[in-house]
Amino acid sequence: MNEYVILSFHAVIILYGVLLMTPLGDSFGSILVNKWPSTSTKRGRMLAGLMFVCTGGFTVSAHTLWMHNKLSEGGSVCSGSSILNCDGLIGNPDYNTVPFIGQPWGLLGMVAFCVLLWIVVVVAKEPLAFSTPTFLKAGLGATIAGLPVIGLLVSYEIKEGLICPFCTTAHIANIIAMVAFFVLFKMYESDEWAPELKKTRK
Amino acid sequence: MGKDWLELTSEIMNNLYRSEEASARGDAALIVISLFFAGLLVVAFTSNPIATGTKPGERAPLFSGKAYNGDGWETFVFDDLLTPEWTPNSTDDAPWIAVEFMDRLCGHCVSAASEVGDWSETYVKTSNWPGPDVLFVAVHVEFQGSSSRADIEEFRDSNGHTFPYFDDDGVGSFKDWDIGATPTYFLVQPDGIVAWNSGIQNLAWDAVSEESITIGDPNGDQRVKLNEAIEQITLSYGGATE
Repeated sequence: MNEYVILSFHAVIILYGVLLMTPLGDSFGSILVNKWPSTSTKRGRMLAGLMFVCTGGFTVSAHTLWMHNKLSEGGSVCSGSSILNCDGLIGNPDYNTVPFIGQPWGLLGMVAFCVLLWIVVVVAKEPLAFSTPTFLKAGLGATIAGLPVIGLLVSYEIKEGLICPFCTTAHIANIIAMVAFFVLFKMYESDEWAPELKKTRK
Repeated sequence: MGKDWLELTSEIMNNLYRSEEASARGDAALIVISLFFAGLLVVAFTSNPIATGTKPGERAPLFSGKAYNGDGWETFVFDDLLTPEWTPNSTDDAPWIAVEFMDRLCGHCVSAASEVGDWSETYVKTSNWPGPDVLFVAVHVEFQGSSSRADIEEFRDSNGHTFPYFDDDGVGSFKDWDIGATPTYFLVQPDGIVAWNSGIQNLAWDAVSEESITIGDPNGDQRVKLNEAIEQITLSYGGATE
């Protein structure tokens, strides 16, 4: 199967998450409401959308780990004459492992998106817990911490004159997650987080 | 004191047991850890990663820089010698690669220069060698003292060598190749997998069974030489012209 068809599966998961978080989420999330009633609220859709984004980030990271392994076997997984070329980056031993740790970037991505997903699931399960703002801050901090890593990887792309579409998809997922955590934190500080408690508070 | 500690621990455990927040974290952790390991399992079952290193069966570290080919110093990229699509059943003419890490000031390298030159001319089809071509590359390191490029040129030309001499000064590929002494020889499969390492002697890589095998010592001198490794390993595969 063409690598870009496979990439589109990851992208669709992330895109669906993004749509859930937008005003369009009201209609896009209707199929989830029966199974997960919390998605009928704005907060629920934001959290569900963020779960999809983190899941898409996780699957695309796992895919880059698979590519890393396949390239070490001597195969070719995503090469071409155009600027879009994963082999030249994921298969490049100078750039394809995390400095000091020596593990593939894909594995780091899997771990990072799992941690983010854990934070989102905890918040979704107990949105009114005292620890919620701490978790939201942790999620925001973790995604911001991902920015220098993305910067480093983009510098490799610039140096090699190539773009790895799979890696870029994971980077975009991290940036979307960062924005989503910020919006969630702002929402938590407003009455939108738990409108049902609005009267009680007052 | 003992009782207070017991009561405190009991209270904490009780709170943890009853705490819904702790339960939410635990449930979420279970979901996420399951997802993580499911992802890892899929990757593990559908790929067979090969480590980069110099033991038989590992992928030879890549290097690039300047090499002297007799006419001048030109850009040398080790990857360019490889044929990634090679398989043990290939019947094409994919060449194998013999890499020698040497220092022109090392006595053993000087005394081996003549036979290395002979081997580089023997293991080519034009000399009626029935196996695949073996490309020779010398990587010049500075273990004994400094050498200029003119010194390297002089060493190569005076020994009548026709293969490229790579200048490792400033590149440091000897670290990636884990070279502790010179000369050290490697035989690399066309796809870049190390088939034999003179430092490990009679252990070689069998590309068909994908496991290490023992190769013989035809001379009985307790030492497998590069030419002996080439003859025992390369002839057991396709790769020769049919």
